[in-house]
Amino acid sequence: MSRRVLIDLLCLATFALLPLLASWLHEPFLVSLFTRLAIYGMAAASLDLLIGYGAMISFGHAAFFGLGGYVVGVIGFHTSQAMPLWGWEGSSSALIVWPLSLLVCALFALVVGYLSLRTSGVQFIMITLAFGQMLYFVLSSLSLYGGDDGILLNERNTLPGLDLENPVQFYYLCLGLLVAWLLFCRRLVNSRFGYVLRGLKQSERRSISLGLHPLRYRLSAFVIAGVGGGLAGILWANYAMFVSPDMGAWHKSGELMAMVILGGVGTLIGPVLGAAVYLGLEQVLSLWTEHWLLIFGPLLLVVVLFGKKGLYGLLLSPWPRWRKPPVPNAPPAIANSEVRS
Amino acid sequence: MIPQLSIQDLEKTFGAVKATNGASFNIAPGELHAIIGPNGAGKSTLISQIAGEIRPDKGRIFLNGQDITDVPAHQRPRLGLARAFQVSQLYPEFTLLENVAIAIAAREGQTFGMWKPLGSDSRLLGPAADYLHRVGLAARGQALVSELSHGERRQLEIALALAQEASVLLLDEPMAGMGAEESARMTQLLLELKGRYAILLVEHDMDAVFALADRITVLVYGQTILTGSVEQIRNDPQVRAAYLGEEHA
Repeated sequence: MSRRVLIDLLCLATFALLPLLASWLHEPFLVSLFTRLAIYGMAAASLDLLIGYGAMISFGHAAFFGLGGYVVGVIGFHTSQAMPLWGWEGSSSALIVWPLSLLVCALFALVVGYLSLRTSGVQFIMITLAFGQMLYFVLSSLSLYGGDDGILLNERNTLPGLDLENPVQFYYLCLGLLVAWLLFCRRLVNSRFGYVLRGLKQSERRSISLGLHPLRYRLSAFVIAGVGGGLAGILWANYAMFVSPDMGAWHKSGELMAMVILGGVGTLIGPVLGAAVYLGLEQVLSLWTEHWLLIFGPLLLVVVLFGKKGLYGLLLSPWPRWRKPPVPNAPPAIANSEVRS
Repeated sequence: MIPQLSIQDLEKTFGAVKATNGASFNIAPGELHAIIGPNGAGKSTLISQIAGEIRPDKGRIFLNGQDITDVPAHQRPRLGLARAFQVSQLYPEFTLLENVAIAIAAREGQTFGMWKPLGSDSRLLGPAADYLHRVGLAARGQALVSELSHGERRQLEIALALAQEASVLLLDEPMAGMGAEESARMTQLLLELKGRYAILLVEHDMDAVFALADRITVLVYGQTILTGSVEQIRNDPQVRAAYLGEEHA
């Protein structure tokens, strides 16, 4: 079994057995913490799809997180207030609300992506940031929905066969969706579409000369990642039973980006680790000082300087980690078999 | 007979520089047509216009009788145009087989599959291995492109062009930067392709050009001054003066 599979299974086992551990330790808040990890992990992994595989450095990914959450919040608001929304009395069923929310996120991603992908590099970063802030200010100005204060929800959505009000059941739902999302993303990046997307990052000229239209693939990836971010937002709205414009603010986008970089760009699982470490540190260090980012900042710097693929890359690299890997001057045939194994 | 590729009165100006200044030539089916000219004659600009990366200011480009002057670059491959780059444009993080597999998937228009792994798709990898075999890279299929020698990269460029199953190949200095031995091998490879495709060959290596070309067009200051057979070009005083370095001919 390769080390990567081992690490992946270890992570999965930790997440899967966590509720048992929590009840054994009489620390139910651990379930709540790990629910947050799973949700943010999903958002970070979907951002990694853009940054790590599509070379699209989106600085507005939290917009999808916020939008996904807000659709749940707004529908919940109308349902509980018995205030029809364009003649629809609303619903609290996850099977209706969630797909609707994902659809809204997909449409938003389609528009934002189509406009943003006319640019690249720094301009792309800035324009995605601008769209994210636009959404933030729109959400802040919705006085019916609490403006800056957001919406408090009375109840979580309902799903047949599961009791989402039960923290452990809700946790397992989040974990299941996270695992499904990661599996889908891994299939995606190794599929034909994934190869074309990753190829565009390596040589756009070659791709065009093969007859591939870059926008079609990048936009598709942008929409898929937007749906992933939206799903995380939906789960967050249900977890916190509260949505506010801050969910879509630029510093949330920055947090997601920090998680991706800390965990390892282009590794999918890495960003989940990144989210875990980020939120874990926040939990521990913020007890001690509110300026905990002062400690996190240098840590991120160290990881970026010493590990090319973040924490996940460090876990995968051979011991001892400070020794540089041999420069591939060896006969190519040998170097090759090792690299690909 | 309709030429497979026809360039008519192409002009392109960058600022004060006339990079292409009235270029015209035709390439017949199966013909290997070489473009020669001194450095800065505008050969690369010409290729870029044919491939669609640069829009000409004036003039028309016809592919198999169809005017493609206004067709975007990414649609030209589907009409039968394939290109090997002067500076290799490959996917360095992928294996050779994966590189060729992408070219095949792109040609077939089957690129939106999101579930089946490309790396184990025998419908792509089988044909990909055949193309690698044709250019002499059969043994290197599993290697990463980043591990290839310069010469092997040039061969892979040709394999990608072949995988596109185009009728017209644009080969931009396939021998660039090659040693004598590699150059000879590439010449041999192009000889095998000759006659099966219409080939536009831009090349500095005169031995290779004279060995390969059916006809040669001479480009000077963006202008095609002469098209002729190898013998005609070799013996033309104007060409010798402008290009072959005999200033006082």
